Amino acid sequence: MRKKLIIVTMILFGAVFLSACAGGAVRGMSWPGLAADGKTAYLADGPFVYAVNLKDGTELWRYPGSRNGKLTFYSTPAITPDGLVIVGSAGTDHSLIALNPADINPDTKAPVEAWKFSGAKDHWVAAPLVLNNKLFAVNSDGNLYILDLQDGQSVKDAKVVKLGGRLWSQPTTDGERVYVTSLDHSVIAVNAETYEVVWHENLGGAVPGSAILSADGMLYVGSLASKLEKFDPATGNHQSVLDAEKWVWSTPSLDGDTLYFGDVDGNIYSFNTSSGKLNWKPVKPDGPITASPLVQNDHILIATESGSIFAVGNDGKVLWTQQIGGKIYTTPVAAGDLTIVSPLETDFYLAALDANGRQVWTFTPKN
Amino acid sequence: MWDLFISIFVNVLIWIYDVVGHNFGLAIILFTILIRIVTWPLNAQQMKGATAMQELQNDKDWQAIQKKYAKDKEKLAQEQMRVYKEKGINPFGSCLPTLIQFPIIIALYQSIIRALASTPLDLLRLSRSITLPNVSELIPLNSKFLWMDLGRPESVLIFGFALPTLALVVALTTYVQAKLTMPATTTPGDQSAAMSGMMSIYMPLLLGYFALTFASGLSIYFITSNILGIVQYAMRGKANWRSLIPGGLKSK
Repeated sequence: MRKKLIIVTMILFGAVFLSACAGGAVRGMSWPGLAADGKTAYLADGPFVYAVNLKDGTELWRYPGSRNGKLTFYSTPAITPDGLVIVGSAGTDHSLIALNPADINPDTKAPVEAWKFSGAKDHWVAAPLVLNNKLFAVNSDGNLYILDLQDGQSVKDAKVVKLGGRLWSQPTTDGERVYVTSLDHSVIAVNAETYEVVWHENLGGAVPGSAILSADGMLYVGSLASKLEKFDPATGNHQSVLDAEKWVWSTPSLDGDTLYFGDVDGNIYSFNTSSGKLNWKPVKPDGPITASPLVQNDHILIATESGSIFAVGNDGKVLWTQQIGGKIYTTPVAAGDLTIVSPLETDFYLAALDANGRQVWTFTPKN
Repeated sequence: MWDLFISIFVNVLIWIYDVVGHNFGLAIILFTILIRIVTWPLNAQQMKGATAMQELQNDKDWQAIQKKYAKDKEKLAQEQMRVYKEKGINPFGSCLPTLIQFPIIIALYQSIIRALASTPLDLLRLSRSITLPNVSELIPLNSKFLWMDLGRPESVLIFGFALPTLALVVALTTYVQAKLTMPATTTPGDQSAAMSGMMSIYMPLLLGYFALTFASGLSIYFITSNILGIVQYAMRGKANWRSLIPGGLKSK
């Protein structure tokens, strides 16, 4: 009998432990997606997408109205010119959903779905790109979906563009081509009108961040090969222009002819695209960096995994620091006079900082 | 400590993945074989313990004290302990190795999930677990194996119905393994045989449920491990093939 009890206990113990690893719609599966317009911050964080009033940090709505085990959100919401908020699910339901914040369901208190695209086979990590009334949406299934912004259906004559690898970052465009980065070490250019692949280049390391077009018309991409790569957007010819200490995760941020980016060793680089040289010796704040630097008037803001925000001047000098707490992986967003930060492993989900880094409000969802 | 354990698993898995030409399914199979080799003495001890316990059920002295002290549980326990000691049997000798399997299963599951890194945070964590050189060339790992995505539960669409083939194979091989390791009994009402019979039903259901719910990489581990277990039993000449036939366990 005792032996039987031990075996049953073992099985239950194993079942509980394995179940604990199984995931589901919980906060902290990955870092949240954050976006903001003039009045509202949109946070995709685990089971819900929250809309938060930028004035005082109060919750305006959440989607879905009540928890749905099939939906998990951590992709950055895209805000369209019409005010739709488009966000993809990383749960077992692989839908890309367009929410209409102007139309709130009185029963659920959640915004009405303007449309829903359910044609993808895997989870959504990247925000879609809005271009000419179309959406260029990349999914972890390796496909680029070209959708009509009005109804979320595939654009007529547009095939699903099979690019390969897991596509985790928002495409970039110069209007003529759409540039997609992939975890299969590739950067791909797709014609924005014909949807044909123009070129497909391998970087020797996964590319979790987006490409960025600089003022000189060149395309820059960081990669897990710990390099900053420069591309000719027309031909795909590329060369490494900088060796970083470690993986470059984030999308570089552009300010004039300077690119700012961080690496997971915690270095911040300021790269001059005109001279092809660093403006100053890399600054090393206090922890790994996965978030893109946020360019302000005369400085940049850097979020670190150590839960800090660093303001670094154009000369590389640290102007101020603010300890937020938890771990920050999400790129902060600017909203009017405020900077919105979304940490993990804190009681609050959002913190708003003023221009001097002082905390104005925090947002913690009720229930 | 646990994280270190996982990191070791992840590094070994990725090293095998690199050696076998970026095939994660094959890496899991070879890793399971490696684990089976490492835990071979434990499994052998488990089999030995189970056999000894089963033989004890048929021992005349043992049966006599069961009858004699049927109403005095305390005395029965004392007498049982005496017999265990006399015959050099550890009553938990067959349990302990099974107990050790559970942390391995849990660690393997977490290692598979970490190695396949399906979210950005997982990928970042993976980067900290790996001590192998040139890791940026290896990741992300290719999670495709045959028709499966090893990071997700498996099913095959047949006439529009998602058939969980791996879960069925897991349940079947677990059942076969459990049945083969059930020795024939001559004692009516034998508690140990009844428990073994119960386990041969519950374990396939439980592992089948795990296979249905969790990443299919774990199912690959279960199936490989079960097949190796069957082979190990067969090599010792202990596999009771008759038990696979209904009614085959009854003594003649």
